[in-house]
Amino acid sequence: MRILLIMALSLLGCSGAIDEPVSYFNVETPRPFGYVNGDEIPQRIIIETRSGITLQTGSLPAKGQINRWLNLNQVTVKQTGQRYQIDLLYQVFYAPLEVKALTLPGFTVQLSQGEKSIGQNVPAWTFTLSSLRELIARQTEQGEYMRPDSPPPLLTDTHALYGLVASLSVAVLIAAYLAYLYGCYPNMLRRTVFKRALRKLAGLSKADMEQALTVVHQALNSLNGQPLFFNRLSDFYRRNPQYLQINAQLLWFFTYSNRYFFSDGMIVVAQDLQQLKDLCEQCRKIERGSR
Amino acid sequence: MNTDTQLTDWREQALQFERQINQTVIGLQPAVRHIILAVFTRGHVLLEGNVGVGKTTLLRAVAQGLGGDYQRIEGTIDLVPADLIYYTYLNDQGRPCVDPGPLLKHGDTLATFFFNEINRARPQVHALLLRAMAERSINAFNRDYHFPHIQVFADRNRVEKEETFELPAAAKDRFMMEINIDMLRGDTELDELMFNPRFHDTDRLIAGVTSSGIYYRLNELAQTVQQRMQTSPKLHAYALGLWKATHQPQQYGVQLSDVEMPQLLTAGASPRGMSYLIRAAKTRAWLEGRDHVLPEDLQAVFPVCMTHRLFLNPMYAYRKEQLLPELIEGILNQVAAP
Repeated sequence: MRILLIMALSLLGCSGAIDEPVSYFNVETPRPFGYVNGDEIPQRIIIETRSGITLQTGSLPAKGQINRWLNLNQVTVKQTGQRYQIDLLYQVFYAPLEVKALTLPGFTVQLSQGEKSIGQNVPAWTFTLSSLRELIARQTEQGEYMRPDSPPPLLTDTHALYGLVASLSVAVLIAAYLAYLYGCYPNMLRRTVFKRALRKLAGLSKADMEQALTVVHQALNSLNGQPLFFNRLSDFYRRNPQYLQINAQLLWFFTYSNRYFFSDGMIVVAQDLQQLKDLCEQCRKIERGSR
Repeated sequence: MNTDTQLTDWREQALQFERQINQTVIGLQPAVRHIILAVFTRGHVLLEGNVGVGKTTLLRAVAQGLGGDYQRIEGTIDLVPADLIYYTYLNDQGRPCVDPGPLLKHGDTLATFFFNEINRARPQVHALLLRAMAERSINAFNRDYHFPHIQVFADRNRVEKEETFELPAAAKDRFMMEINIDMLRGDTELDELMFNPRFHDTDRLIAGVTSSGIYYRLNELAQTVQQRMQTSPKLHAYALGLWKATHQPQQYGVQLSDVEMPQLLTAGASPRGMSYLIRAAKTRAWLEGRDHVLPEDLQAVFPVCMTHRLFLNPMYAYRKEQLLPELIEGILNQVAAP
């Protein structure tokens, strides 16, 4: 008997729950005050339904203008099993002169089971909107109160800046290549030929006379742009008249070099190397323009 | 008398000879210097130039000044090799006779053989001359004739091309030098040539050249000069560089305008050509009073010894007159010593 009573009570307890198509319904709203023109107001609706019942997303308000002052910016529906989470994001465009109560309109969410349709009301929600006016109206003597315009915001120029840096780099590279094609680098190198020759000569001794003479020959050749020989000195002077002032030393050098390289029985003394270094130093002075 | 003194004496004579030629044929000092070098190196010379610039006069003057037995032949299109070897005629008694021709007439004392207008003769004649020049001998009447002293001077004008035969490469290579005679004289000299009666009668002008009689000793002298002049290893390297540059100028940085350098040459200098170059350079060193050869000696004789030895690709051959001097200049400007 007692068992029968418990069963009857249990069945009685379950019967109500079985009839309800929506097992949970809640509208989560933020604070109902403190809004100003242009603010966004989120609204979350949570619906849990019985199995077999589906939400008709078409019954949700459409994204876009709701009325003269209200826009629905975003509608997101997230379904987890039979639980629906509907996020609506409204934006208010209303400029009240004083604090005003406004209402987000209510609507009916349609749920369906097979051909049957059930409606679930989402109630309207009232909030207050504040004005953006000053509490005290200030005026000048002319009766006008104008604040200066705010400066326009600057556009982001990062991309333009990167573009500029990239183009400048490319331009510099192209200019360098052009300079190479025009033969500017040899000219730059030509201005330091004797500097390099002097550096090489510094480490040489009397025994390295062949190397020392070759170094000076190479320096003169690269200055001349082609091999320079004794019998072509006049052409060299025509192209580089500043070297005419050390003509005597150059004549000595070529005579000495010819004797050293092309005839027998040449005895090298330390003074020769010194004379060679002197010649190179004179050339360096001319090269730097200090002589 | 030791060899050095001998060489110095000979040098004085050579310079005296040069001065004399320069007084006879004025305004051609570079060409005269080259001919003197060829004579004292015992090399054959080909003269090229325009008509009437003094090629023949110059060669006649040199032949007269040197002394020795002299023969001359004019190149004509109907000249055959036999014309150089013998000629036939009827004698006083009406009998046919065969006498030696210009080449054989003086036997082994033949000194200067002057072939005028060589490019008018046909290739058969060139072929005979090839052997006479290279081996100093020919075969005639079933025996060999030797000409130990022969020196061939030839000339050709470059104005006319009709009825002429271009010298084959082999014949050109046997000439030590090809000397160009250009109209590059000064106004004073041109004035002299126009108005001074001395230059109007070429025969009398040539007759005025005194024969030095040195000719038959030239072989011995040339040999002495070749032995006495020193060449250092650096000079050998420089000559080798020049030689290689005549084969692959692009590897030495020689670049001519509008020319694909690797395709420019079909043949560079021959070993014989380089040997002539070195010999001529030694003679120049001797004439300059040195006992060793310098790069400038090689440079001085390089154009005259090499220009006729470089053969251009047919594609560029029509620009030969312009390209060859540029190529020679380019090689001399790019090869360094040391």
